[in-house]
Amino acid sequence: MTTFTAFEPEVLDGFRDAVGREHVIESPLEVFGYSYDASFLALDRNTMPQAVVRPRTTAEISRVMALAHERRIPVTPRGAASGRTGGSVPLQGGIVLSLDRMTSILELDTANMMVSAEPGVRTVDLHDHCARHGLFFPPDPGSWKFSTLGGNVAENAGGMRAVKYGVTRDYVMGLEVVLADGSILETGGKAVKNVTGYDLTGLFVGSEGTLGIVSRALFRLRPLPKARGVLRVVFRTMDEACAAVQEMLLDGVTPSAAEIMDATCLEAVARARNTQVEEGAGACLILEIDGDGPEALEAQSRRIEAITDRTGRIAFRSAASREETEAIWAERRGLSSAVAAMAPNRLGEDISVPRSAFPEVVRRINAISASSGLPIPVFGHAGDGNLHPSVLCDLADPDQAARAHRAVDGIFQAALDLGGTLSGEHGIGITKRPYFADAVGPVSLETHRAVKRALDPLGLLNPGKIW
Amino acid sequence: MVTATTKAGPGPFASARGKVLGCDRCGTCLPVCPLFQVQDVERASARGKNALVRGLAEGLIPPDREAQEALEFCLLCRACTDACPGKVPTDEAMLQVRQALADTLGSTPLRSRWIGRVLRRRRMVGLGAAALAGLRAVGLHRLLPSQLVPRETSRQAYLEKHAGPALLGAPAPRPEPALHPGAKVAYFQGCGMKLLFPDASRSTQRILAQLSPFQRPDHPCCGLPHLAHGQREAFLELAQENIRAFEGADLVVTDCASCSGTLKHLASWFAGDSVWEDRAARFSAKVMDLTEYLAAAGYRPQALPGATFTYHDPCHLARGQGIRRQPRQLLEQAGKLIELKEKERCCGGSGSFHLEHPRAAEAILRRKQEDIQGTGAQVVVTACPGCLIQLTRAAEQSGGAFQAMHISQVI
Repeated sequence: MTTFTAFEPEVLDGFRDAVGREHVIESPLEVFGYSYDASFLALDRNTMPQAVVRPRTTAEISRVMALAHERRIPVTPRGAASGRTGGSVPLQGGIVLSLDRMTSILELDTANMMVSAEPGVRTVDLHDHCARHGLFFPPDPGSWKFSTLGGNVAENAGGMRAVKYGVTRDYVMGLEVVLADGSILETGGKAVKNVTGYDLTGLFVGSEGTLGIVSRALFRLRPLPKARGVLRVVFRTMDEACAAVQEMLLDGVTPSAAEIMDATCLEAVARARNTQVEEGAGACLILEIDGDGPEALEAQSRRIEAITDRTGRIAFRSAASREETEAIWAERRGLSSAVAAMAPNRLGEDISVPRSAFPEVVRRINAISASSGLPIPVFGHAGDGNLHPSVLCDLADPDQAARAHRAVDGIFQAALDLGGTLSGEHGIGITKRPYFADAVGPVSLETHRAVKRALDPLGLLNPGKIW
Repeated sequence: MVTATTKAGPGPFASARGKVLGCDRCGTCLPVCPLFQVQDVERASARGKNALVRGLAEGLIPPDREAQEALEFCLLCRACTDACPGKVPTDEAMLQVRQALADTLGSTPLRSRWIGRVLRRRRMVGLGAAALAGLRAVGLHRLLPSQLVPRETSRQAYLEKHAGPALLGAPAPRPEPALHPGAKVAYFQGCGMKLLFPDASRSTQRILAQLSPFQRPDHPCCGLPHLAHGQREAFLELAQENIRAFEGADLVVTDCASCSGTLKHLASWFAGDSVWEDRAARFSAKVMDLTEYLAAAGYRPQALPGATFTYHDPCHLARGQGIRRQPRQLLEQAGKLIELKEKERCCGGSGSFHLEHPRAAEAILRRKQEDIQGTGAQVVVTACPGCLIQLTRAAEQSGGAFQAMHISQVI
């Protein structure tokens, strides 16, 4: 059923020997489940792998890679397939290397405040495990309840707390990586200061599975904040909201999340939740603050109240109870589906600009929305310049589909023109590949290629991605 | 440029595909799907099954027995829908796609065919109940596998074990009937209650009788087993029979969450039928789950000092009908309620699923049993015979650490 011919029996046997017979999936019906991810790519028989191989240990990955190398078989690594850009979708048949059986948290080193774990551990499980010991693993991509660490590292996942705590890269201290030929590389370690050789750890973070298979990761941790609070501030315009966030950061009162949504988003959520938007509301910030205790939160809340008073606001609310906190977060959590409910299809994008350019990029997106005739609600992480415009359309209508794709092109162009980038936290994968070469320029493209050639000369690792 | 295509097109799978179009495969459902928890391959997950529906509709997957088997592997528990940002109704998609596959292939899967045949005939259900009663009387039912014939704990045995003799036999205080004074109440005795839990069914009737006289019309199966396995014609016939059978009642009360869930939603299956859609809607409006009825009628159970319960929410009651408060309210009046961890996680029963997929059902049940034992409660209570089959098995496997009972037996 696939367009790729079946493996020769001895190849299948080799994979079975490596990981155990029951952990090699080859029935077309089952393999179909490994042909997609959470991107908007259509289901396609051309993206079905010839087999799915599910190792449990680094040694097993190494044996699989050695065999794939010897037989020139493409390998597409996969965690939970929750990526938004097609990173784990196989383009050239071969095997999907599914790392979802590698679910052990190996060591929590409280003295050094570090934890090491296998790639199949869910992000939320690592967070909760550390939290039980008073430690904090901050990266919190929106998918953290089901995404896995291997994918977080491979895509350099961000999240809402990036404004204060940074992204996955900021926490990776070391990696164990199985290279294309099956050899096992160790990078980094527990030494905080480490300038012995190239920063190979950094090279693999965000490499989208094209350079090696992350089989273990060592993360640094922070102390778990003792208290958290939530604020909701409504503004007349996105400019005012962005200005308020800039003031907060300049003033040193850094929220642990600063989620921004525009008027269209506010209306969508209000409609879904059967509530009313404040008169004249054009933007809303949902801020999380954290600190050592109630007094610390109270002090931050007062400062933010003062700042937003100066920058102009029409409503300010600080959650006083658990219920109120929950209600405010529910508004943010319900946002994505409320926006999705506005049209048959949504092209959700993930651009990132310098923080100062946030209001301008929103203005340009609004202009693109007007000229394309398609609603483009904008929400995002105001504190770090990462925003998610959603082009709403009906892709079954060819005219709308064409306009939608032109709108996406325009959004990327706007981001690049303002010194921004194609992707803040989702990666390039397949869906943004057509834009990559232009976005980075010829020298960067050749440098990428040189790195790829050095580590994967046969081009077997996640082929067809990024450029 | 890569584009998302929306190949619509008619064909047998169009209606099922329509149900899952809102799925953007984000993965939110993965950790909450009880089957994916015990079988971590994509095919077993809600996302995987929704993708299979699209694969069938878009011609990427052949409509064969393997596809049929894969799509039978769903508990219809709605845990995925509950968590889903877009509220994709996987359970409805499964009903639709199973029907389409049955139509395309000319039959339902072999292992689920028998249940429809038996439950379609009132006489066979009646004979089965009588035969099992005979076996129970002499203890021979223990020779049959417990998945098929659970060892029911009787209310009498429960009272003897948990209550002082002074409380035995004393009727519960009579409540003021708050619901439609003079309403004609009828009892819908589902097949599971009739066949497998006759003592619980008697308890339900004892309680109903305390509130008001009630009718027991002769009626067939609610039809859910047929709907679940691609036998829509049989389901529609049964639904019409039921609508007719309860014409004379103002309220139809049932002690089976799956029956009440099915009976409350009959109208949508008759959409476009000028006569039956309306009749079905009127019938559905009369249906109440036992706990819903008792709470509304102000029934106050007699308290059994020292009795400790934990409560397992049936999927079709909690997520299916939003009934969570009423059973708890009743149990809190009857004794001490200790909440169960992940109380709404499916027990793996799901109609005949536990018979058709015993290994997966057993793995799911093992987790449930651990959670129940974690509460330290004497009795795990539920409100659906489907769950009670599983929980009774868990109770047996616990070696007497707890008992499993229907809510009507302890209130």
